[in-house]
Amino acid sequence: MTAPILKINNLTKRIGNKLIIDRLNFEVPRGEIFGFLGPNGAGKTTTIRMMVGLMSITEGDILIDGESITYHFDKAIVKVGAIVENPEMYKYLSGYRNLIHFARMVPGVTKDRIDDVIRLVGLENRIHDKVRTYSLGMRQRLGVAQALLHRPSVLILDEPTNGLDPAGIRELRDYLYKLTREEGIAVIVSSHLLSEMELMCDRVAVIQQGKLVTVQTIKEFMSEGTHGSVVFDVDNPDMALQILTEDPSVQARLTEKGLECSLDKEQVAVANGRLIRGGVKVYEINRCSPTLEDKFLKITGGQSIG
Amino acid sequence: MVNLLLNENMKIYRRLRSWMFVIGLVLTVIGFLIAQQYSVKPFQIANADWTLNMQKQIDNDKQMLANMDRGADWKAHVTNRINVNQYHLDRHIPPTEDTMWGNVLQAADLIIVVTVLTVIIAGDSVAGEFTDGTIKLLLIRPVSRSKILLSKYISAMGFALLLLIVLFASAFLVSGIMHGFHDLGVPYVYASSDGAVHETNIIQHSICTYLFQAVQMVMVVTLAFMISVLTRSSSISIALSVGIMFAGTSIVGFLAQFNWAKYYLFENTDLTQYLAGSPNIPGMTMTFSIAVIIVYFIIFNVFSWTVFTKKDVTA
Repeated sequence: MTAPILKINNLTKRIGNKLIIDRLNFEVPRGEIFGFLGPNGAGKTTTIRMMVGLMSITEGDILIDGESITYHFDKAIVKVGAIVENPEMYKYLSGYRNLIHFARMVPGVTKDRIDDVIRLVGLENRIHDKVRTYSLGMRQRLGVAQALLHRPSVLILDEPTNGLDPAGIRELRDYLYKLTREEGIAVIVSSHLLSEMELMCDRVAVIQQGKLVTVQTIKEFMSEGTHGSVVFDVDNPDMALQILTEDPSVQARLTEKGLECSLDKEQVAVANGRLIRGGVKVYEINRCSPTLEDKFLKITGGQSIG
Repeated sequence: MVNLLLNENMKIYRRLRSWMFVIGLVLTVIGFLIAQQYSVKPFQIANADWTLNMQKQIDNDKQMLANMDRGADWKAHVTNRINVNQYHLDRHIPPTEDTMWGNVLQAADLIIVVTVLTVIIAGDSVAGEFTDGTIKLLLIRPVSRSKILLSKYISAMGFALLLLIVLFASAFLVSGIMHGFHDLGVPYVYASSDGAVHETNIIQHSICTYLFQAVQMVMVVTLAFMISVLTRSSSISIALSVGIMFAGTSIVGFLAQFNWAKYYLFENTDLTQYLAGSPNIPGMTMTFSIAVIIVYFIIFNVFSWTVFTKKDVTA
């Protein structure tokens, strides 16, 4: 694997006596979509602001392609495209002039490149209108456009799906996928829509109260501890419950989904055999994998998600 | 840096508001000069020949000198006035107030309007980015914060210069239309501090008057800029700096009785006090005032720069 494009070392932020971010460590390789999760006030936005140099770092460092955001800001930031919170643009200028504005601040962005990016985000028809007249979704697209102008190696998107309709979200997801796979750029997204993260991300980091709780691939994250519950859809749930609980090691209960019990793979087969011998018709057996939401609530102790 | 200036200028001139300001200024000039035209001036008989008025004034002054004594300064002042008026009569040069230039010089008082309008643009250029959240996109580029701040400062001053030119040009045109342009080349006559009478190019004199008046504008705009960086609020920076300007200049006369007041910014910003030869506080000189102004200027800018480059952006 190549060197990580983003490296966070012992990142700490203190404001007054208050510890906002406490020794974060993680890396993001090229070509990965990395999710950043945490409840409100956990320090997600602060971390993102430090990544793009809007906030100073108390201790530790952030390296972007090996360049420190603190000591070599120019060299590091030129590789970053970002939307921090909402994509706020100059409302009294047209979308096009907004892009010209940001293009002028980075060397090497040609007029052709601006046109390409406009096409990419699908704003050709409205680009010369004032941003004041744009819908939230269009502003979001313009935000993505300004972030991509200078071909960054890292794209940082804070709540990128905010204000997009389902089609727009899908489009963005496909587009991010393409960017990471074809151009090898790394994307860091924070979102409160956990189902979105589930579909989009390769790996996720969860932070809470400024501390890193876990960094895992989305697969590990989803599958961990899922030998939990299996639901049997049967013709007579009461009888099935009785048959299964004859074995005292089996924990079973009736839920609105059907008969739910905690069983591993082998136990499922055994239980199924006993139900059939006992004359219960088994229509379906489903393992319910917990959603990211369940996982998340479990990890963060049920705090609200932001 | 050129690109940053292009950006800041785009944000000023591609906005309807800025052009409304320019139009508003022109309308103010027209209204002001019309009001001046129809207001009655002392020692002046309607439609009388200026030579008659001037002779009358000379006679008046001579009589005053003979009958009163209000000190050496006053005596010198009145003597100078007599000499200047006599010079006008002898060479047949109409007094500046009777030519179109009189109105152009009057309109220099409207620099206060230019100041207020520029303060709005300058205050908004920093604080507005924070209020709208655009500062987050502005500062995540490979450009130092110092350069961004400097480009904003320069373009605000550029807008001030544009308004000054518009003010001068519209005052020139409006007074020319009202008076006729025939006395365009009349020289400006004045007495220097040693009592000698001189004449000078009127255009040069007018431009100097405008530039002297602009000193205070530059200081107020710089102050507004600093408040804008410190508070990150357009409304506070605009209200506070305009308030400080009006309050600050109105207590100049009151403070003049204290010697320490010579270090007070607004005792110094009106450099025309040295043209007239009577400083606000005895002992002040032009060099002293310029030094005081420069010290304030540096303090304001160092404050803005330090805060803008160091402070976390949480907008």
